[in-house]
Amino acid sequence: MLGWEFPPIINGGLGVACLGLCKALSQHVELSMIIPKSDPNYMVNNVELIGLNNVEVENLKKIRTSKYYKEFAHVTTVEANIFPYETAESDFDIIRGKSIDFKLDTNVNIFKVGDLYGDDVINKVIEYAKFCARLAMTKDFDIIHCHDWMTFLAGIEIKALSGKPLVLHVHSLDYDRGGPDSRGWVYDIERWGMHYADAIIPVSRYTGSIAKNHYDVDERKIYPVHNGADPVHVFHDTKDFPEKLVLFLGRVTGQKGPEYFLDIASKVIEHAPNSRFVMAGTGDKLRGLIESGAYRQIGNKFHFTGFLNKEKVHKLLSIADVYVMPSVSEPFGLSALEAAQFGIPCVISKQSGVSEVLYGALKADFWDVDKMAGHIISLLQNDSLRESVVKDAFRDLENLTWDKAADKVADVYKRVL
Amino acid sequence: MPAVCFYFQVHQPYRLKQYSFFNIGNDHNYSDERLNKEILNKVADKCYLPANKLMLELIKKFNKQFRISYSISGIALEQFEKYRPDVLESFIDLARTGCVEFLGETYHHSLSYLYSKDEFVRQIELHEKKIKHYFNQEPVVFRNTELIYNNDLADFIQKMGYKAILCEGVDSLLQGRTPNQIYTAPNNKKIKCLLKNFRLSDDIAFRFSNRDWPEYPLTAQKFASWLHNAHSADTINLFMDYETFGEHQWKETGIFEFMEHLPGEILKNKDFSFKTVGEVADDYQIKDVYDAHATTSWADSERDLSAWLSNSMQSESLSKLYAMEEDVKNSGDKDLIERWARLQSSDLFYYMCTKYWSDGVVHKYFSPYNSPYDSYIYFINALADLEVEVNKHSLATARVF
Repeated sequence: MLGWEFPPIINGGLGVACLGLCKALSQHVELSMIIPKSDPNYMVNNVELIGLNNVEVENLKKIRTSKYYKEFAHVTTVEANIFPYETAESDFDIIRGKSIDFKLDTNVNIFKVGDLYGDDVINKVIEYAKFCARLAMTKDFDIIHCHDWMTFLAGIEIKALSGKPLVLHVHSLDYDRGGPDSRGWVYDIERWGMHYADAIIPVSRYTGSIAKNHYDVDERKIYPVHNGADPVHVFHDTKDFPEKLVLFLGRVTGQKGPEYFLDIASKVIEHAPNSRFVMAGTGDKLRGLIESGAYRQIGNKFHFTGFLNKEKVHKLLSIADVYVMPSVSEPFGLSALEAAQFGIPCVISKQSGVSEVLYGALKADFWDVDKMAGHIISLLQNDSLRESVVKDAFRDLENLTWDKAADKVADVYKRVL
Repeated sequence: MPAVCFYFQVHQPYRLKQYSFFNIGNDHNYSDERLNKEILNKVADKCYLPANKLMLELIKKFNKQFRISYSISGIALEQFEKYRPDVLESFIDLARTGCVEFLGETYHHSLSYLYSKDEFVRQIELHEKKIKHYFNQEPVVFRNTELIYNNDLADFIQKMGYKAILCEGVDSLLQGRTPNQIYTAPNNKKIKCLLKNFRLSDDIAFRFSNRDWPEYPLTAQKFASWLHNAHSADTINLFMDYETFGEHQWKETGIFEFMEHLPGEILKNKDFSFKTVGEVADDYQIKDVYDAHATTSWADSERDLSAWLSNSMQSESLSKLYAMEEDVKNSGDKDLIERWARLQSSDLFYYMCTKYWSDGVVHKYFSPYNSPYDSYIYFINALADLEVEVNKHSLATARVF
């Protein structure tokens, strides 16, 4: 298995999902997980965890790597400073393009310092691919299983060398992050990878449909598997103010629909003044939204917290009355599951994977601000509706375990072997 | 016989702590006490104490011919009282010389004139009491926050009993006329308007240490010669922040030596004298009308309200704040009223300014926060807390009746 983000180095949604799946899947198969960076003191039962930052390159025998990825390396790039899961507001400097320094030698030191993303993420992806290929050739394995585009190139390379079946797990696509017009290096890798793979495992039917419709992937090899929910320590706290609290959690970027949340909030505050809204997270849309909230004169009811650590996020979940996820394109949406675990009724966009599994949650198209606002007002004012939504979600959660997800993944393995 | 009229503004706001959503409802103290104390201590040692010492020496040296005016905000006086009584003492020493006049202003250095005349009057009266208490003076000349000024204000202030008011000598309103004489307002011919000579004032306040300025280095002799050129002037009004001495212009720039020598250089011309703002108002006649329909100020290159009121964050904050006035005052809760009043300091809105051209640097220099957006968030969260408190009060009162 090839991964990029993995706890405890990065605790983003992708890493959490990979870990959850790894643990459950290790009951079914022998698993080696190769990631760019690992903490040598961090172990997962029954899983061989290999961080490239801890491997000596000299110990690997030289192999003839194919040069499939070379055509990807021969692009002229701009230092785009790509942080695809950026949590901070960032400024972009336009720099003159330069071509990638492409060598056949592996340079593993690239993973010993710095971030997993950043301005040389393309180099890192290529180095990761070369290195994984050499490492894989020293091992006996039956299936190659990759998580998201950063590892797709490596998967392609290993399949080309070994002829073993390639399974691509899709947690999110460039389409989600960049919108329907998204094209470029990342899109090309995703497209090429998915066409070359033997099976695609999107985290939802919704994401599967994007693979089919926007990447032209053969739907017969798409097998959606929904994520599981890790158990969380649930607690409830009391608010220090009398208003009901409506919560948005996530990166403040176009994909997550923060502008819609502000629109929705204005509507709700108008009809239910006894409400407060919190937007927790940061991103490129933050400043504009702060000004926009002030312009609408709802700043005293609509609060921005910036980026929050896990503890603060749980504090918010312990006092929230409604959770809203108005994402424009959300492959899954683990945070909605977490909110449901805290017993918070969820209002989620239909353009999300989690809407396929939270049957009880109230749903609307992300752009349907009136309907979203209506759902929230109903939940704030109607206690019996609220109770039934929460109850339904608890029932839905029972089915959402990593063990069930691992069963389905194991079925996919059987199909491709 | 021209007079040189120095007025120094002394002010320190209660800067807000990084008040987050999580503070709302449980933390009712919005000020960052540590930061405020730290800044006050720094400015006291770098500016207030050495500058007051210098002024006192100059008054003694020139046998009371050196005369100056101060406006000290109420909340600055409060902070001196609390953190640096030695600074307060040194101002009281200056007051005792009889050569120093104190002006009237709003206690909380607020923009209340623009939003609520009731609150405006309340704060002026609070401030008058404080000045009387410490310096045994009753202010007769008024300066509004940041020299915010218009015709209506001039009239309002005259009717409150003040004989003169300070304002910026804005080029577009002077239309080629000199700022160095007494003006009056078109709608009230009793008020005397003292106009800041912004070129000469800013030569000291802003350009003094600027090495790219062709006049650098500015010596007392050179500056005095510029003043002497204005021999037909009635009064040359040099208005500036007191923090110019030692804080905006560091000690190392030679600003104290400059000031030490300036009175002597100016008085070398026997026609020239120093007067306080009240003495200028008494000694010179009104020469012309200064017509300020639109509101002006001494801030930024625009000399208008845009430093505090040019984006949606600022306008929401201000309108929400003053919309609460009735409920806050009806609560009768002194603590609540004071917390509300402290949120009125113009500085808090200045920090929210997003004008990022040349004045942006100045705004950033004065702001304790990372960005205007942070400043807004801390403010609006604190305001939300105040709202929660006020609502509790109204609810409790409603139950009683």
